[in-house]
Amino acid sequence: MGSLTDKYCIVGVGETPHMRPSNRTTLSMACEAVSKAVADAGLRLSDIDGMTSYQIGDSTTSPHVATALGMRLNYAVDILGGGSSGEALVAHAIGLIEAGYCKTMVIFRAMNGRSGRRMGGQTPGGPIPVAVAEGDAQFNMGWGWTTPAQRFGMSAMRYLRDTGCTTRAFAEIAVAHRYHASLNPKAIHRSPITIEDHQRSRWIVKPFRLLDCCQETDVSVAIVVTSRERAFDLRHPPVFIMGGYARTLTDSPQWNYSREEIHYVAGNYGWKRAFGMAGISHKDVDFISCYDAFTFTTLIQLEANGFCGKGEAGEFVKGGRLQIDHELPSNLSGGHLSEGYTHGVQMVIENVRQLRHRADDACPGWAEGRHTYDRKAGCRQLRKADICCGMGWGWENMASCLILRGIAA
Amino acid sequence: MPAPIDYSKLRIVPDFDTAEWWAATKEHKYLVRRCPDCGHKWFPPIFPACARCGSLKTGWFETAGKGVIYSYVVVVQPIVGAFVGTAPYVVAIIELDDCREADGAVTRVAGVMLNDEPEIAIGLPCEVVYEETADPRIVMPRWRVCGAAPNAWRFAE
Ligand SMILES: [Zn+2]
Repeated sequence: MGSLTDKYCIVGVGETPHMRPSNRTTLSMACEAVSKAVADAGLRLSDIDGMTSYQIGDSTTSPHVATALGMRLNYAVDILGGGSSGEALVAHAIGLIEAGYCKTMVIFRAMNGRSGRRMGGQTPGGPIPVAVAEGDAQFNMGWGWTTPAQRFGMSAMRYLRDTGCTTRAFAEIAVAHRYHASLNPKAIHRSPITIEDHQRSRWIVKPFRLLDCCQETDVSVAIVVTSRERAFDLRHPPVFIMGGYARTLTDSPQWNYSREEIHYVAGNYGWKRAFGMAGISHKDVDFISCYDAFTFTTLIQLEANGFCGKGEAGEFVKGGRLQIDHELPSNLSGGHLSEGYTHGVQMVIENVRQLRHRADDACPGWAEGRHTYDRKAGCRQLRKADICCGMGWGWENMASCLILRGIAA
Repeated sequence: MPAPIDYSKLRIVPDFDTAEWWAATKEHKYLVRRCPDCGHKWFPPIFPACARCGSLKTGWFETAGKGVIYSYVVVVQPIVGAFVGTAPYVVAIIELDDCREADGAVTRVAGVMLNDEPEIAIGLPCEVVYEETADPRIVMPRWRVCGAAPNAWRFAE
């Protein structure tokens, strides 16, 4: 990004409650999330002239949302994509605004991820009664090997063997993100858990237990991106986009099992560019977000993005390092593991709120940035939240990153 | 040994790129793709090009169907109905013995093991076994452990 660093900002965020089921259409939820994000920015719908979203054939589209809300757009494109797409669409927004195609863009994701199309392919009633294995699925569904948990489990198992790490490292991530969810009134699961709770939870697919897996929810999320010049006039202090990488891609171990090392994931190829653009080092990062479809996906991204050495993540997360008030707080809203599942964007939203110093927690003055920092009283705002690194994951082969800073950094 | 897979609940649909592969399994042959131009091998055959040289010509290589377990998962909560009675079952990635290339490239395949979890470990040798299904057009390759290894690694939690 170089000269574009800090030239673009995230100025608005919004979401619907995590529900299961929502009993709503994705169009209905998307309209609410978009409206909230635009209002959060202090803008009117008529100020937005670009809209984009990502989906996997499970959502409404930008033209539908714009029609519903009476918005006349200069740019509306929806892409196919899952995790890591939200961060990548921020990169699209920067390019489009820079090139003059539009001025202010809203990015949304809407999904009935629990009551509608589930990531694991289950029908709402349970297992797939008669499975049709065509195309790619001939070579996984035919082997009863379909869900993200079952697929990522291969990398995780080989990782455990290659590094000597144990699933107690997975537990550290489950515990940290749950603790943060306990401080988030919006989270689906708010009761704190221990490492032993994780170790005692039932197996889903070894090496993953129930508490390694995220919470499927019905939800829509939205963020607003615009240029720095416009950002300064708006409701909140701007959050600056310092750098990132967008859907860095390598060959997929899901389809090319023959990759040299199946747990050498895409982030390894991106982080030097992201940190180079941002002009910072890992030491400058106050907190992170890290796509936690599973505990393992967070673990592996820490080392893929250079926060620790290859094979060292298990050691790195020990002793609560990822918890608030420790060295590197991760997923402060509770993430996919405990807040709910949004295919990644909720982490961007939480990061923006933290960088604004306006985490929507139990503190009565949070909307004005007044926090107690008393965790027992439900405050989840970091004292120092100047720079954040957000890491998005598609599958092992696909990753995005967004390094953001608040006004203070 | 895990309970049988209920193949009446699974419909495999071979296509342009894979029909010959499924036809070969009916004859108890395990094929991987082989590039006629540079000799690179790959799996699964859904990929219609050589990822090493870009050639669009595709050929086949008949492997001996022997390899070593590279990784595995134990499916405890099945999602595909055909496997509900089979769980817990092990799906493994197997590195084939006879597909090693001069530049270090290997070819790995995947499949359902005939062994129960306690008999499985990364590093163990295994071989393909062909299983009839409810569909006369489809024979399913499965894998079974066929020996020991000094440095095998087992998930013991
Ligand atoms: Zn070739």
